[in-house]
Amino acid sequence: MGKALVKIKPKKYKVGDVVKVDFIAIHPMATGMQKDKKTGKIIPAKYIDNVEFFFEGESFTKLKVWESVSTNPYFSVYFKVTKAGKITVKYKDNTGESGEASKKIKPKAA
Amino acid sequence: MKKVVIATTIMLSSYLLAADSSQFNMSDKDRAMYQEMLENNPADIFVAEGEEEFDKLIGEKKLAEFLGVNEKDLPKYIAGFPRYVKKLDMVAGLDQVMQAILASEGKEVPKLKSKKMFKLLAYVKSLANDEPINIDVNANTHIKEAYKLGEKIYNTPRGGRGLACLSCHSDATVGMALRTQILPNLGKVKAGATWPAYRMTKSSLRTLQRRFQGCMKNALQAVIPIGSKEMVALEVYVTNMAKGADIAIPGLKR
Amino acid sequence: MKRREFIKGVVAIAPLSFIQVDLFAKAEKPKGKNAMDIKTALKELTAEKEAKDSDKVKLIVPEIAENGAVVPVKVEVDHPMEEKNYVKAIHIFATQNSNVRCVDVSLTPKNAKAYFATRVKLGKSQDVMALVELSSGEFLKAAKPVKVTIGGCG
Repeated sequence: MGKALVKIKPKKYKVGDVVKVDFIAIHPMATGMQKDKKTGKIIPAKYIDNVEFFFEGESFTKLKVWESVSTNPYFSVYFKVTKAGKITVKYKDNTGESGEASKKIKPKAA
Repeated sequence: MKKVVIATTIMLSSYLLAADSSQFNMSDKDRAMYQEMLENNPADIFVAEGEEEFDKLIGEKKLAEFLGVNEKDLPKYIAGFPRYVKKLDMVAGLDQVMQAILASEGKEVPKLKSKKMFKLLAYVKSLANDEPINIDVNANTHIKEAYKLGEKIYNTPRGGRGLACLSCHSDATVGMALRTQILPNLGKVKAGATWPAYRMTKSSLRTLQRRFQGCMKNALQAVIPIGSKEMVALEVYVTNMAKGADIAIPGLKR
Repeated sequence: MKRREFIKGVVAIAPLSFIQVDLFAKAEKPKGKNAMDIKTALKELTAEKEAKDSDKVKLIVPEIAENGAVVPVKVEVDHPMEEKNYVKAIHIFATQNSNVRCVDVSLTPKNAKAYFATRVKLGKSQDVMALVELSSGEFLKAAKPVKVTIGGCG
């Protein structure tokens, strides 16, 4: 399982603002229907199938993901800033492997 | 030589769709969508991994020392590669410089064509982000020679189809569609400033020389090894086409 | 020898139609265990309730995708995200992939904006569809065709 990262846009925001949360993970997202060019054998399906976005431990978005999503997947949602804290995105794939990435929410004084 | 290239271009042009290849031409709106994807480039993660590796294995101080420049001048200096490197007594890329540094310390030397080296190269080049390409192909006799060699290779037909780089990437053919993709002007697309890049069709980080290899294979030309005198010369020639363009690594390519 | 090489060249250079060529191997198209067509996928989610085509569902995809491996998809729904009135889910489909399902997005009022973006693999030119589920139980949808150009040199 490769790395992942969470980005918040814009860089400066205050409580009450709605920010964009971007998530990218390094993951093969193998469909299970492609053949290895060298061996001719089918590459087994290995794709992220669940992603959940948390703010301070509370879930605010859930994704059920299928193998049609591109390799090294990208997902983006919006989030309303209520206070300072941490956004954590947790993900797991169909083989049971999991990972997570987080980013601090640091609103500027109004 | 030019006659042969023109002949092959004419042969080729029967397969190239006419300038109005609107069925393959992306609209401005489409182009904007792809531009936007640069903001969330999976290669950003590879570059971050390259940063970790680079800081662990070499570091900017050592690199600057090896190249004989002040650390604060490093980004601008990087923006002029490939260069004649005194310590190696040859025109080289930053990947070859890194190999030399690691070898001199008895450390493990990643192969030029490895994922590890691609990440290292991408990170180091990204240190020059927003700097304009300042390669100087007249700086000394070595780089002059490399430029001449690169130009020769670019223009020389070779291989099964008798094609040269110029056959597809010339003013006459740029803008036409070959195999559903519009042929680019390598200077206008700033190839020299936007590689290493994430290749969407390969879902991986690739370098310019690696891309040349893919092109050569498809053109039925013998593939030139990465880091060879000829490949570096080709990179010098193509990078010069983007002189003045701001470096933006990692790029995002089809 | 020159002639044979030239003919080899002809076959290989011939431009590929972007309508007919599949991303997968030409012989049999293997069916994964998640295979599902669009009719079934829609039925499963809407329980045969009508999903209305609505221009409140802004589906943003390229008209021409320069490759089928990474196709950007953006969905914006012109609808509030309030506690008792919000966009509950956005489902993205690649209507002609063997498994049409791409992502099932469950949103909450905390998102404050009914928006989702991702990148998908399209096996060939097809319609991409967004099915939107409102907290009221209503379904809205929008679909757009994407031409996938497969080819290039290397």
